[in-house]
Amino acid sequence: MRSFQDVPIRQKLALSIVVTTAAALALSGIGILAADSLLFRQYLRSDLSSLASIIGDNSTAAIEFDDPRSAAQTLNALRVRTHVRSACIYRADGSVLARYSHAFENGSCPPAAARDQIQSTAAGLVVSHPIVLENRRIGTLVLLYGLGEVGARARLFGAAIILVLLISSVIAFLLSSKLRSMIVQPILGLAHAVAAVSKTRDYGIRAQKLSGDELGVLVDAFNEMLGIIQLRDSDLRKALVDREEALIEAENSRKSLETTLASIGDAVIATDLEGFVVFANPVALALLGRPEAEVTRRHLDEVFRIVNEFTRSTVESPVRKVLREGAIVGLANHTLLIAGDGREIPIDDSAAPIRDAGGSIRGTVLVFRDVTARRRAEETTRRLASIVESSEDAIIGHDLQGFFTSWNKGAERIFGYSAEEIAGQPASVIAAPGSADEIPEMLRRIANGERIEPYHARRRTRRGEIREVSISISPMYDELGRIAGASKIARDITEQVRAAERLALANAALQRANEKLARSNEDLERFAFIASHDLQEPLRMITTYSQLIVKTYAGEKDDRARKYVEYISAGARRMQELLADLFAYAEIGASAEESGSAVDLNDILRTVTQNLRAAIDETATTIAADPLPVVSAHAGHFVALFQNLIGNAIKYRGQQPPSIRISVAERNGQIRFSVADNGIGIEAEYLERIFVPFKRLHGNRIPGTGIGLAICQRVVERYGGRIWAESEFGNGATFIFTLPSVARLREDR
Amino acid sequence: METKANIVVIDDNPGDIELLRMALEGAGVDCTLSVLDNGRDAMEFVQRLGPFAGIPAPDLVILDLNLPSNDGVEILQAMRSGDAFPDVAVVVLSSSSSPREKSRAASLRVKRFIMKPPDLDAFMKIGVTLGELLAEKRSEEASAGG
Repeated sequence: MRSFQDVPIRQKLALSIVVTTAAALALSGIGILAADSLLFRQYLRSDLSSLASIIGDNSTAAIEFDDPRSAAQTLNALRVRTHVRSACIYRADGSVLARYSHAFENGSCPPAAARDQIQSTAAGLVVSHPIVLENRRIGTLVLLYGLGEVGARARLFGAAIILVLLISSVIAFLLSSKLRSMIVQPILGLAHAVAAVSKTRDYGIRAQKLSGDELGVLVDAFNEMLGIIQLRDSDLRKALVDREEALIEAENSRKSLETTLASIGDAVIATDLEGFVVFANPVALALLGRPEAEVTRRHLDEVFRIVNEFTRSTVESPVRKVLREGAIVGLANHTLLIAGDGREIPIDDSAAPIRDAGGSIRGTVLVFRDVTARRRAEETTRRLASIVESSEDAIIGHDLQGFFTSWNKGAERIFGYSAEEIAGQPASVIAAPGSADEIPEMLRRIANGERIEPYHARRRTRRGEIREVSISISPMYDELGRIAGASKIARDITEQVRAAERLALANAALQRANEKLARSNEDLERFAFIASHDLQEPLRMITTYSQLIVKTYAGEKDDRARKYVEYISAGARRMQELLADLFAYAEIGASAEESGSAVDLNDILRTVTQNLRAAIDETATTIAADPLPVVSAHAGHFVALFQNLIGNAIKYRGQQPPSIRISVAERNGQIRFSVADNGIGIEAEYLERIFVPFKRLHGNRIPGTGIGLAICQRVVERYGGRIWAESEFGNGATFIFTLPSVARLREDR
Repeated sequence: METKANIVVIDDNPGDIELLRMALEGAGVDCTLSVLDNGRDAMEFVQRLGPFAGIPAPDLVILDLNLPSNDGVEILQAMRSGDAFPDVAVVVLSSSSSPREKSRAASLRVKRFIMKPPDLDAFMKIGVTLGELLAEKRSEEASAGG
C-alpha cells in the first residue's frame, strides 16, 4: 500500500477539500446541537415553572375546599402536554389530593421533592411547585416531565446535520474536480514539457503558461531556463561544427597540395635557404633515381647533378643562383641530369624563390622535366618528313575546305605541279574532267572522321594528262584532337590500269575463241558419233549383199563382175574400219565427263601385247618396258593409246626386227612416258602433221586408217597431258606423252 | 507332230528381212515368217488391236531396236505388260550396240541379243541359232504338256 505522500495531487486535493468540509460541518452541527439542547432545557424549565404556577394557581380553590375532584380536573388540563407523564397535588400535610397520569402511566405520584425546585432524575424532570394562597402555603404540585422530547429533538437535529454533511461533502467533491484541474493542469503541462526536453534534447520546447499565479511564475522561470540552455547549446554546436570544418578544410587543402605536387607531370623539389631538400615529388624521385630517404634533408648538390651535354662540365645549381639573385632562373639548353643510377637524362628546368607573406625568401622550388620524349618526337618528325618527301607516292594534305596545305616530291612527280605552285589551290585543280563532283562528298566524310580506304580515281596533271591513281584518305587532327584536314596518299597506277585493261580485252577475246572452239568441237564430236554409227548400217548392207552376189554367181559370170564386186566389198570394209576408228575417236571425247578407275598400266601393256601377239611374233618384235604406274583412267583409252603406238612401231619398221623401249620418268609434276622404236622414223616436216586425223604419210603402201595417232593425242589430252614425236628420219622414232602427276594413284611394283 | 513355227519379225529393213529369210531356210527351219515393217503396226500387233484382234500368239518374235516411230524397247515393254501374249519368246536382232539398250532389253526377258553382223556368213549362222531356240522351246513345251 502506497503512502499518502505518493498519492497524486489530484486525489490529495480532493481528499483535503472533502475532509475539511466534512470536519467544519461536523463541528458546526455539534455546536448547534449543544446550544439547542442547552437553550431547550432552559426554556423547558421556565415553561414547566409557568405551567406549574398556572396549575397551582388554578388548584388553590380545590385545595382550600379539599375538593379532590376539582383538583383532578385541573390536573387533567395537562393532557395537552404529552410529555407530562404524571402530576400530583399534595396537601400541605403532604397527602395526595389529586393525581394525574398520562395514558399508559401507572398513576403513581411522583415523589415530592424536598425542595421546590426542578430536579433531573432518571425518569425525567421532576418539578415541585408550591401552591400558595394569600402568602400561605397550602400544598405542593409535583410534575414529572418525560425527557423523551429532548432525545427526539436531539435525534432530529443529528439527522439533519448528517444529511447536510453528506450533501456538502458531495458538493465539495464535485467542486474540487474543477479546482483540481485549475491547479493540476499547469503542473502536468510543465511535467510534460520537462519530459519532452529530456527525451528529445530539443531545447526549443516551451511549457504552456495557463495562469498568472505561482504556477505561472514557475512555468515562466522554467521556460527562461530552457531559453538560456538552448542558447548555450546552439553556441556549443556551432563552435564544434566550425572547428570540424576548419579541420577538414585544412586537411583538404593539404591533401590537394600534396596530390597536385604528386600528380604534376613535372618533377618538383623544394629546398630550404641552405639548399637542403625539404620535399621532392614522385616524378622528381623517379628522375633522380633515388628513394625519398636518400633525397630529403640532403643537399641539392648531392642529389641533383647536372652537366652540359656537350662539354660535360658541371652546371651550377639553379637553386644557388636563385638564392643569390632572388629571382626566377631557367636552365640553359642541353643540360643532362646524372641520375643516382647513372642514367643521363636531358632535362629542361627552372627554379624560383619561395617567399613568405612578408616577402622574405624562405627557400626555393625547382621544377624540371625529362625532355627525352620531346627530343625523340622532334627526331621522329624530322625522319617522317624526309620519308614523306622521298616517297614514290603522292602524299598530300589539304584543309577541310579542300585547299592544299602540303605537297611532297612524289606529288610533284605524278601531277607536275611544284609545292609552291599548288599551295593554297583547291583540290579541284587536279580533278579529272567529270570527277570534281566527288570532292565535296570526300570532304564531308573526312569531316565526320571517316577513313576512306584505297579507291580508284582519275586525276589530271599539270600538262592535262589523265593519270589513274589509287587514293586513300585519312582525317588529320590538330593538337586538340579536332579534325583539321585530310591526308591523302595517291599512287600512280596508270600503267597497271592500262595493262589490266589490255589483259581484260585479251581474256575476253580468248574466252570468245574458247567458247567458239568448244562449240565447234562439240558439233564435230556429235557429227562424228552419229555419222560413224548410222553409216554402219548402209555399209553393212553393201558388204553383205556384195558377198551375196559373189557367192550366188560364183563361177557363173565372167570374171570381171566378180572382181568389181570384190572392189565394192573391199571399199565397204575399209569404210567400216574408218568408221569404227572415227567412232572410237569420237567416243573418247563423249566419255570426257565420266571419271575413271584405277588402271594398272602394266596390265594394259600385257593386254596390248596379247592383242598384237600375231604381228609381234611375225616380226620378232622385242618390247622392253620400265615398271609403269597405276593411274586413274578408263582402261579402254590406254589400251587404244599403247596399241596404236606399239602397232605403229611394228608397222613402220626398218630392216631389223622392231625393238621397242618404253620408259617412264617423273618431274615437275608430270609423268613422262616415251615409246622409242628403231623403225623408219619420221621426216621432221611431218612430225606435227601425223596427229591430224586421217593424215597418212604412206598411202596404201602400209595399211591403216590414219586416225591412230589422232586417237592417241585425244586420249592424252583428255587426261590433261601432251603428246609429241621426236625422230631422225631413218633412225627410228620416239613418241613422248605426259600425264599430270595427280593422275598417278600409286607407285607400281 | 511337227507343225510350222509361227515367227513374227519386226524390222523396217527389207534387206535384213530377206537375209533372215535366207538364213532360216538355209538352216532348215520350217516356219511361216510374218513381217511388221513399222513401229505403229508392231504396237497394235503386240496388244492384239485393230486388224490383229484375235490373232494367235506367235512362237517367236524377232525384234529390231531401231525402228521409226515407236522404238523396239517400247514395243517390247508394251508386249510384256499387256495381256495379249506377254510371255512370247523374243530375240533382239539389231544394229544398235548401245549397252544401255542392251541392258533395258535384257530386263524385259529377251532370249538372245544378236548384233546384225557385217558379214554374210555370220548372218547365215543366225538361222541356225534361231532353229536351235525353236527346238529348245518345243521340247520344253512337250515336257510341260506331259
